[in-house]
Amino acid sequence: MSGGRTAVIAGLGLTEFGRIYGRTPADFAVEAIARAAEDAGLALGDIDGLLVNPGVGGDIDLRLQSTLQMRNTRLLATIQGFGSSAGQMVQYASMAIAAGMADVVACVYADAPLKEGKGAGASYAGQRRAMRGVGALPAAAGLKAAPERYAIAARRHMETYGTTSEQFGAVAVAARQWASMNPRAQMREPITLADHQASRMIADPLRLLDCCLVSNGGVAVILTTAERAAGLRRPPVHIWGWGQAHPGYVNRRGSEFGLVTGAARSGAEALKMAGIGVGDIDMCQIYDCFTYTTLVTLEDYGFCAKGEGGAFVASGAIAPGGSLPVNTGGGELSSFYMWGMTPLSEAVIQARGEGGDRQVPAHDLIMVSGNGGVLDFHSTLILSPHPRT
Amino acid sequence: MPDEKDALMSLIPVERDEHSAPFFDAAAEGTLLLRYSPSSGEWSEPAAVVCSVTQARDLQWRPAAGTGELVSWTVKPGRRGPDGVRGPDQVIGLVELTEGPWLTLRLVDAEGLKLRAGLPVRVEFVRPEGGEPLPVGRVHD
Repeated sequence: MSGGRTAVIAGLGLTEFGRIYGRTPADFAVEAIARAAEDAGLALGDIDGLLVNPGVGGDIDLRLQSTLQMRNTRLLATIQGFGSSAGQMVQYASMAIAAGMADVVACVYADAPLKEGKGAGASYAGQRRAMRGVGALPAAAGLKAAPERYAIAARRHMETYGTTSEQFGAVAVAARQWASMNPRAQMREPITLADHQASRMIADPLRLLDCCLVSNGGVAVILTTAERAAGLRRPPVHIWGWGQAHPGYVNRRGSEFGLVTGAARSGAEALKMAGIGVGDIDMCQIYDCFTYTTLVTLEDYGFCAKGEGGAFVASGAIAPGGSLPVNTGGGELSSFYMWGMTPLSEAVIQARGEGGDRQVPAHDLIMVSGNGGVLDFHSTLILSPHPRT
Repeated sequence: MPDEKDALMSLIPVERDEHSAPFFDAAAEGTLLLRYSPSSGEWSEPAAVVCSVTQARDLQWRPAAGTGELVSWTVKPGRRGPDGVRGPDQVIGLVELTEGPWLTLRLVDAEGLKLRAGLPVRVEFVRPEGGEPLPVGRVHD
């Protein structure tokens, strides 16, 4: 963005993640926002814009304004783009700041789907809906939860391009390698390709180690003007480009479901806005609800040719020491599952150079994806520690 | 109707509503209905509200051939019951009908078949207890 009121990310707040019980999504949201404000060196009272992304529970909403005792709110909305929400919120907050609608905007995601004594699978088992009418036919046939729906997408990619389960496994192993260097990651024990292949089948071809975690917790980012951020506590993270694409797969002949995702158009838009090519990107933070999602997103962004994602990830390119570091905190597969806030928060950490043992030396341009529904919704951000030249 | 106990055991009963009444009436006779747009000559899936090609709002029910081919599929491993016995796997297919629309169908008698994209599929119907007749797919290897 150019002009007098360019927005930057000035604060990041993360709670604990995982099996944290006894706290509501609102509790997590308040903590995440308070931490983001403290991180930025701002007071809660400085926040005059709030964008709220509820998770599956839908438990946080506009009442968060009252919970936070906000008195001067000039921008307030719930944003629901599922996995694409975090990227969307940064985009809307940037535009609101550029337009002068607000000066300090907090964007928050929080959820607590894990319940004590219940397995992670139960928390994302699919919405309960009335089994009435022809709209219920897929669910009646057994297609309900996310894994089986993504499994059909992944299988189509395998059938079309020869992608293999072992190549999905390479994504899982790389994510865990990165997670082993992230103190916040829920899963830090190294895994091998053999572990991946031996993990139980959830929905063929997706095994347990192809699936992301489920986490309770919250994440917030705070955006303000570059001018104001210059005097704040943390180095600002600049937003070079963004895009959204919601492919709206039509359920019929010719659909690209499973083969091409919204990342293709969303990524191209973001690169164009940033004025760079895909070869300029130093690292990627990809929405990895499943290993397959990482692979297909990398193809769609153009880091390898369509259909060659399997060979690309199996080459070690995305692992520590590879040519394109991907999901350097462990991603949703191994660190924590905060929807699009997982890749966004890691991008902010890496852009600031605060990644500790996992810090990637080259971190000038970072591409961040957000994927929602079953590849139905997509947002992209391109972030940098440098102002756009 | 096929004698497919596994499918009957694990298919979830569906009730009819106003829109789906013709679909389920035809299903009881063994006929698959799809939505057809006279203005475009294109077919859409049963749940479509506008034409899936032109977005025309003139959809009407019309009998389809009940044939298609496999686009993709997943296999959900059978769950262990209270007796510790593992239930049968569920094979769920994405089927491209001859007319063009895609249907998600339970594939019957598909265990042990070497599934691959492009295999021909025929639509049959089973009736779970307490629900309307539901389309299922039978793969021809």
